[in-house]
Amino acid sequence: MIELIGVSKTYGGTVKAVDNLNLTIPGGEIFGFLGPNGAGKTTTIKMITGILNADSGTIKVNGVDIKTDPVKVKKQIGFVPDSPNMFLRLKGIEYLGFMADMYDVSSKDRTEIIDDLAKKFGMEDVLNDRIQSYSHGMRQKIVLMGSLLHDPSVWILDEPMTGLDPRSSFILKEMMRKRADSGKTVFFSTHVLDVAEKICDKVAIINKGRILFCGTLDEMRNSSMKDESLEKLFLELTENEE
Amino acid sequence: MKNKMLLLTRTLLKNGEGFGIKGMKNKVSKVLFALMLIIILPGLVVMFSFFVNSAYSALAVIGQEGVIISWGIAITSTVILLFGIFYIAASFYFSRDVEVLLYLPLKPRQIVGAKFLTAAIFEYIITAAVFLPAVIVYGIRSAVGIVFYLYSFVVFVFIPVVPLCLASVLVMILMRFTNASKHKDTFSIIGGTLALLLGMGINIVMQRFIVNINLQELEALITKGENTLALLTSGIFPTARWAVSALLDTATAAGFLNLLLYAAASAAVYIFLLFLGEKVYLKGVVGLSESVSKRNKQNKAEERDKFLKKHSALRTYTMLELKLLFRTPIYFLNCVIVNFIWPVLLLIYMVMGTEGADMQGMVKQLIINTDNAGTIFLFGIAMFAFVAGFNGTVSTSISREGQELFVKKYIPVSYRTQILAKVLSGFILSIAGAVFMLIAATAVFKLPLYISLLILVAGWMGTLLISFFEILLDLYNPKLDWDSEQKAVKQNMNVVYSMVISSIVGGLTIYAAAQFSPGIITAALSAVLIYGGLNVLVYFLLCKKGVERFKQLEG
Repeated sequence: MIELIGVSKTYGGTVKAVDNLNLTIPGGEIFGFLGPNGAGKTTTIKMITGILNADSGTIKVNGVDIKTDPVKVKKQIGFVPDSPNMFLRLKGIEYLGFMADMYDVSSKDRTEIIDDLAKKFGMEDVLNDRIQSYSHGMRQKIVLMGSLLHDPSVWILDEPMTGLDPRSSFILKEMMRKRADSGKTVFFSTHVLDVAEKICDKVAIINKGRILFCGTLDEMRNSSMKDESLEKLFLELTENEE
Repeated sequence: MKNKMLLLTRTLLKNGEGFGIKGMKNKVSKVLFALMLIIILPGLVVMFSFFVNSAYSALAVIGQEGVIISWGIAITSTVILLFGIFYIAASFYFSRDVEVLLYLPLKPRQIVGAKFLTAAIFEYIITAAVFLPAVIVYGIRSAVGIVFYLYSFVVFVFIPVVPLCLASVLVMILMRFTNASKHKDTFSIIGGTLALLLGMGINIVMQRFIVNINLQELEALITKGENTLALLTSGIFPTARWAVSALLDTATAAGFLNLLLYAAASAAVYIFLLFLGEKVYLKGVVGLSESVSKRNKQNKAEERDKFLKKHSALRTYTMLELKLLFRTPIYFLNCVIVNFIWPVLLLIYMVMGTEGADMQGMVKQLIINTDNAGTIFLFGIAMFAFVAGFNGTVSTSISREGQELFVKKYIPVSYRTQILAKVLSGFILSIAGAVFMLIAATAVFKLPLYISLLILVAGWMGTLLISFFEILLDLYNPKLDWDSEQKAVKQNMNVVYSMVISSIVGGLTIYAAAQFSPGIITAALSAVLIYGGLNVLVYFLLCKKGVERFKQLEG
């Protein structure tokens, strides 16, 4: 479970990226985080994962405050950043080995997980190549694999579908569902509303650093009293903000 | 066409091409950079001026003071050519922005032209440091008129053009007709090492030539017309002759004509470059981002098993740092190779030195006397500190993260461990360089083995101390906003600052050695106590302030 209580973040002293945000993301559900470009999605995710420091407010992951015990919090999170262009001079397997050591994964566990994931994503033959030679989608897959090595109880994904081929995208969605069903937390940001509509149990819509709506899709339809697609509801919600 | 090129130049400059001053966000960087501009650059100009001044006196005796100007132009051109090859390859082909520029509706010549202009602006710093002293000294000593300075200004503006064009042409042809661009890393490592060796060679030859030559030899050299440097220069840079003639003959129309010729020739060479760029640039650059993949299944299982074994986070993190240092050409040259080049250079100077073999004899003499054991030991310790400060490994270890710093923020490894891994990776390299130097020094100067061993046992403390200082420096003043790796290490002032710090620490140690001439036991004990104590102090500072600072860093 992730809890954000009164979290704010300002860039350069003037631009308020996240404004007094309150959000609870429970385990056992796929939670979609939606919003237009520059709404504060990535900033929020970066604060949860410890990349950015919140100016004020509290962030807890499974009850542990990121400020008091950051390493413990980070160990529970598997994180997929929005750009997979990193560690390009490492081989795929080297990257996975590095991540496994960072997350303290035993030799046995990492062997099983890497074998399983490589097979699922069709990456077996390229693990010995440098990431530099990978396509965007393959880079995305290696990062996805790296985020699951320690079987995290909280999985956070920033725009995870970008660049994935249909098959991998399908497998990813299945994995998200499986993890949520086993009681784990799955939190991902997207602006592809079709994906969100199909797989999310709950969504939060953020614009200009503030949460406009948080709940199930049905709740959203009920509150607007319209039986419309998520796209229309989203457009209406964010338009009113303009 | 012109407008687009200038627009692109402006954008590239704003984007941090050149010095990245615009990208400097924190005040510390700005203040330190300002200090460097105010102190180091004028310092260099003043230093060279003194040197040129004494050369002027010597040359004036034989009425050949004009040589100062031709040397000034020759050295500036050569240095620009050498730096240029590196800089152009990085900027034209290996910079991250190239891919973006390729799909913009720009003609190849516009990209080449703009990239060239931004490179030229960078070269003006070199030009200022080398050419200005020649102009100032010659101008003042020869009491020339205002026309000389006006001409000098024009020459100053045009100096980088021809050598930099030559560098660009060389690089473009190489990239077009070999598949160097496909093996970018290998190319950069081999090319860079060759350039370094060449630079070292020229340096040594010049050093010998300038320092050891006496008046008679000089006179003979010039009157015989065997001025190798000038010959070489006019061979490589034929246009330089016009610049020299113009500056030495400001009174007549011929001088003015020469100046016009120089400017026109430079412009023509630049236009030729644009023409060539239009023809060959695209073919060399397209497909650059493709890198060769083997996709082989052989050795797959072995390879894989190696990385499936569990290791501590500290070990793996340190290994990652080292791997990236060895695999990234710019880092390899500036952090790894440099480690072994400084010691070699220093030894060569000591062996060939100002007085040739005498220096070596002097050191040997010093060593034979057992009373000097303590002093020699302290020299050794100082050398360990120097070597650590003169490679940019630890002082750029945070900067090198660049936009990937965020990864280090979300992995569940304490900042203390991460800092230690960064220190450790640089420490390993520095120790390797220092030990390499110690072995060479032991062989060359016949250093008694027990002193060498003592230096080895205690020297690491000097290396560690400097490494601690360096990581603090980079934590407080990191250069994270870069788009080509060379900006992370080559245009990173932390490297210079760490040289200064290690010079102070090593210098104080040498000063103490010279001042007190301690016995070997006193020297060893005080070195261990002082360096050990300082290490403990700085370590605690690092654990508190350094960790705090890492926490605040946001990539």
